[in-house]
Amino acid sequence: MPKSGVSGYAAISARVRAMYSALLSPQELIRLSDTPDFTSLLTQLKPTVYGSYLESLKDKELTPRRVVVQIKGRLADVYYSVIHMAPEHTRPLLTQLYRYFEVENLKAVLRSIVTDPTWERVRDVLFPYGSMSVLPAQAMVEAGNVSAAVELLRGTVYEETLSFAMKRYSAEQNLFPLEVALDLNYWRKLWQEARHLSGQDQKQALRVVGAIIDMNNLMWAIRYRVYHNLSEEELINYTLPFGYHLRDEDVRAIAAGADIASVIQRVYPDIRDLNPLLEEPRSGLPLLEIQLKQHVMKQCMSAFTGDPFHIGLPLAFLVLCQLEIQDLTVLLEAKSSQLSDDRYRPFLLKTMLV
Amino acid sequence: MFFPKAMTEIEMIVPARDLLAVTKVLSGHGIFHQADSSYASGAGVDSGATNWQEKAAGYSGLERRIQIVMQALSIDEGQPQANKEFEKMGELVDIRSTVEQIENEVKNATDQLSVEKKRLEQLENTLRQLEPVADIDLDINSLRNSRYLFSMLGQIPTANVERLQTSLARVPNVFLTLRSDSSKPVVWLAGTQSNADVLERAARSAYLSPLNLPDEYQGTPAKIIESIHAAIKSANQKIADLQETLSQLGKARENQLRALLWDVHASRVLAEAIVRFGQLRYTYVVTGWVQSDDLERLTQRLKNASKEILIETLPTTRSGHNLDVPVAMQNSEFLKPFQMLVNTYSRPRYGEIDPTILIAFTFPLLFGAMFGDIGQGLVLAVLGWLMSSKRVKALSSMSSLGGLITICGLSATLFGFLYGSFFGFEEGVHLFGLELRPLWISPIHHILDILMVAIGAGVFLLICAFLIGIINGVISREWGHLLFGHSGVAGFLLYLSFLGLGASALGFLPISVIVFAVLAILSALAVMFSEALIHLVDGYRPLIDGGIGTYVIQAGVELFEVVISFLSNTLSFVRVGAFAVAHGGLSAAIFILAELIGGGNHGFGYWAAVIIGNLFIVGFEGLIVGIQTMRLHYYELLGKFFTGGGMRFEPLTLTPAQED
Repeated sequence: MPKSGVSGYAAISARVRAMYSALLSPQELIRLSDTPDFTSLLTQLKPTVYGSYLESLKDKELTPRRVVVQIKGRLADVYYSVIHMAPEHTRPLLTQLYRYFEVENLKAVLRSIVTDPTWERVRDVLFPYGSMSVLPAQAMVEAGNVSAAVELLRGTVYEETLSFAMKRYSAEQNLFPLEVALDLNYWRKLWQEARHLSGQDQKQALRVVGAIIDMNNLMWAIRYRVYHNLSEEELINYTLPFGYHLRDEDVRAIAAGADIASVIQRVYPDIRDLNPLLEEPRSGLPLLEIQLKQHVMKQCMSAFTGDPFHIGLPLAFLVLCQLEIQDLTVLLEAKSSQLSDDRYRPFLLKTMLV
Repeated sequence: MFFPKAMTEIEMIVPARDLLAVTKVLSGHGIFHQADSSYASGAGVDSGATNWQEKAAGYSGLERRIQIVMQALSIDEGQPQANKEFEKMGELVDIRSTVEQIENEVKNATDQLSVEKKRLEQLENTLRQLEPVADIDLDINSLRNSRYLFSMLGQIPTANVERLQTSLARVPNVFLTLRSDSSKPVVWLAGTQSNADVLERAARSAYLSPLNLPDEYQGTPAKIIESIHAAIKSANQKIADLQETLSQLGKARENQLRALLWDVHASRVLAEAIVRFGQLRYTYVVTGWVQSDDLERLTQRLKNASKEILIETLPTTRSGHNLDVPVAMQNSEFLKPFQMLVNTYSRPRYGEIDPTILIAFTFPLLFGAMFGDIGQGLVLAVLGWLMSSKRVKALSSMSSLGGLITICGLSATLFGFLYGSFFGFEEGVHLFGLELRPLWISPIHHILDILMVAIGAGVFLLICAFLIGIINGVISREWGHLLFGHSGVAGFLLYLSFLGLGASALGFLPISVIVFAVLAILSALAVMFSEALIHLVDGYRPLIDGGIGTYVIQAGVELFEVVISFLSNTLSFVRVGAFAVAHGGLSAAIFILAELIGGGNHGFGYWAAVIIGNLFIVGFEGLIVGIQTMRLHYYELLGKFFTGGGMRFEPLTLTPAQED
């Protein structure tokens, strides 16, 4: 009998709420974005929870890339802490959610094999996934080619997915089929894990996970149609048939050439002025994605009101941590590249909540 | 005995010319635990360190290559020759050339073997796809080159089957799942040639992997399957021939490869040790740990190896954190099984009381109390002895558990006398002319008494655990945790005050309830705000992380958890009595069954049921009681006083035989 309700979640809810209070507030993020340069930004970051993660870096290592990897260490620690505190029956879901970063690492490794197979460079962009990782990342990079690298994944959760995709890679010499297969497999498994739960846990998990899947599925469908000119059948095969608000009919409608704006309007009635975004997809789609992420963020924040004794609270917190890291990454890159405020501020998720 | 072995920190300045001789002494006897002193390297001597790093990497690479060759030739690593002295480090260039020569000999056969195995896998996969259509009397070629019909036979990921069908909803097609019994279903997709492009793109995007039959396969599926069977037979034959070639090669090179492996291994260990030395212009700085008992022996050997070596030793005290001091346990052979139990939980820190002795007393005690039976206990003891003595081959893999099972069996025998139980026969039964009588109590006839005794024993053990925790706190000088930790003085007082409240309310203690109530409130407040109080004592700021409101909620939940854990820790010991009762109940059930089977006669059926029932109890209940005993220790007792996290004493060794 899984421990749930108050007895299962009392400790983790209290702990997550305590950690939630350590997230950066919108005002703090604005203060960080007001810093004049990269060095000042780092100085401002030091008194925050990320400070201890930057201590180990020597001055010459304070490049945006290294700093981003270091602050991602905080996210890894948060995941480890939450997974270990969570009731036993919810751990598969949390572990699968965390696997997102391993999938991203795997994609990064495969891309590096094609572009620049130098381990020292690849290492600096990988998420510090920790002991739960099954990727022999260095050996894969050193294998020198994609086929040999994928061979090293025998016996892992990725073997079966990649066995089909590798046939296409061999024929097309393009990483696209591998990456799509990995993504689809990851989200399918996450959805399955959420559905395996019961009662309030399932309801809340589907709410948080479903919101992310809606966003991804919609953006995939739009991008496949706008950028990749895929056929209706291909687009359907490269998307997911489930979600929270987004229905399979919506995806199929986009695939069949229906008006994208009306589909978005149905699923996200709060989003206004869609046409300018869709008319200039190169600049508009990233902004649309930001608005969808803000929707996910609000959905996650709403998990902190009402009954806290379910898996929704830890899940929402983990997603919020991840979105915070994204904001900080934007800031770090912008400050190091000396971008003007108007070029990066629209991409900060949390400042919009002020 | 109560603490891990005494350690002495040792620092050495080694002249460069004696480097290898000293490193050999340090690595060759399994008594020196090296600490990293490379930070002490002086400026301008980096090239030397890099050189050793390159050497270590070179040896490591060669070791791996030799292991790969040995694996390919199915040669086990074995052990280095007894008393073999590694006089000098092997020359990288010479070893590399020898390894390359052997690799080339092996490579040809292994490459061919790998190609053949892959071919065999492909053939079997093709066969798997063709089998569902074996009965169709149609030339496959006609499908390939059809003018009007588009057709695709192949495998697809299970998750994509439904999606592919959805995607083709608006395209006329026939889609059949021919085989769905695995994660790779075999499907057949057909449509008109005019829609070939759409169908092909859809199939590709669903990762449908079409069956590609080489042109030499002609005719009906049945005919093709026949030729594939022949090809599989031929591939298997080739694989067997190649494996034979490799086996011959293995026999010829076996001794040479083993000797080479251990030479390279020793050279790697030496090089890696030197990499961690601090390098100055003419000398090296070496630091590490040695067990105080071995100090003199090591010092003498070092002085024999180098006349000019400077050695400084720093004895280590038990107080403080001592997390960087390696831990070597000092327990007798008798205590080794219990040490294994402790290490599975965690290794003690250097300044921490080693709980092995306590566990050696409580583990058999609790096990015996739950499993008390003279006959069954003796069976367990004999089984344990057979395991540890390795006399029965099938049990030798569990030899490490043998000692533990023997002692637990003997304890169960002792409790069997106290409970008056022999293979389930209880009070009033005459065996061999003697009447069975409990020397102390019969659990099944005095259920409440045995449960109360179990809880009493639990309270006593928990009080002992708290006291040991407090002693550990004093030794480690973690004053904050000692005073306010959940298992420190505040937690102990809270636990005692709860006991006092209960005893006083029931009239067992002549002290007023108010005294214990006040003590309980004060200690509860200390436990509730322990985090802030610990920070205050330790001088850590800020006192609390986050806002006051959140902290108070969190502290409240923590206090609730502590109180619940005290209650559950104590009541957990009820199981000791409950299992003693259950043991009697289970035995009674077996005798009822035996009576039913025997039909009132004590014939073959009766005794067969009694024997099988007893074997079932020894196996099944013995396992459950073992798990429960472990649970009581890991969850209820050790957490109260044992932190663990000590670093293992890992001396440098040139061969695995020297490892502890």
